[in-house]
Amino acid sequence: MSSCGAVVGGVSLDRVDVATQAVIQGVVQKNGVPVKVGYVRLLDSGNEFTAEVPVSTAGEFRFFAAAGKWTVVALVPGGSARASVTAELGKIADIDVLVG
Amino acid sequence: MSIEVLVDADWAVAHLADPKVVFVEVDEDTAAYDTNHIAGAIKINWRTDLQDGTRRDFVSKAGFEALLSKNGIANDDTIVLYGGNNNWFAAYAFWYFRLYGHQDVRLLDGGRKKWELDGRELVAEVPARAATTYVATEQDRTLRAFRDDVLNAIGTQNLVDVRSPDEYAGRLLAPAHLPQEASQVGGHIPTAANIPWSKAANEDGTFKSIDELKALYTGAGVDLGKDTIAYCRIGERSAHTWFVLHELLGVKNVKNYDGSWTEYGSLVGVPVALGDEPGNA
Repeated sequence: MSSCGAVVGGVSLDRVDVATQAVIQGVVQKNGVPVKVGYVRLLDSGNEFTAEVPVSTAGEFRFFAAAGKWTVVALVPGGSARASVTAELGKIADIDVLVG
Repeated sequence: MSIEVLVDADWAVAHLADPKVVFVEVDEDTAAYDTNHIAGAIKINWRTDLQDGTRRDFVSKAGFEALLSKNGIANDDTIVLYGGNNNWFAAYAFWYFRLYGHQDVRLLDGGRKKWELDGRELVAEVPARAATTYVATEQDRTLRAFRDDVLNAIGTQNLVDVRSPDEYAGRLLAPAHLPQEASQVGGHIPTAANIPWSKAANEDGTFKSIDELKALYTGAGVDLGKDTIAYCRIGERSAHTWFVLHELLGVKNVKNYDGSWTEYGSLVGVPVALGDEPGNA
């Protein structure tokens, strides 16, 4: 049984066959600097919560979505921001989220 | 005596030095606790401490007693659980502590996320608590559903699938922070309503108000007078919903199906519904 736990920064791609995944990843920045503490939520096209990960100490996050349009929302101490992204099977969609 | 099962951060801060209040962080990712945690909190590992390790089942009554005794928890202690993932695993531990009969167990509203976002203090120092002799009860099976309970509930009881809409419909096979897996079929248990756990929580991980929570379930057509089984993928998100229904709303007969979709979606010969509608019995 695998866990449902969210790994800080998102699961590594080292053992993942990206060809079978629709990856969304990026970095959360505040005032131009990657945040060390924060959370990123993935919302579906209907704005429903789908997943959340804590960012890594370099502000990184990663999701494994389905193909389609998604929204990522960054929550950091003292602020939040959102960005839209389109995921495609077999590809990595990079999206940075800028707070403040 | 009425026991408040949900405490906020101010209550927590006021009780950090109380020797009869034990803060317990429950995360699958123990690196979070090892980096820092609420002062005085101990750690329970969802996977290594609460699972049998060989069979897919919980530790025995004796194993639970040994775990709590080793961690210095007494039967009359107040346990305050918190964790990451919007308290998913803390809620799972809450349900688990209830299964084994601990009386005074509470959840820190918002868990680790709200604590961090509010900039509250976290420390690295690991406390030492003197061992106890903890005595558990037998598992309270009225709180736990097994696969036959679920099959018998199709079309007759409330089945609440608390996963995301895309998992419910079969478009995703795992939560989207994990690689999509192929060991189970996609979809949901026929007649189950999709009420994602996240609808019961605010963005900061705190629970919504009691009025909002009641409206959430009744508005989705759940008859709170009927028996209810909640499930997700492995039973921790549905423990969050079990906590809402059983502990916050006081609904009587609510079970958590910890086998959840990783079991049901692997069973041979059982009915499965695809798409956004509950489907028929």
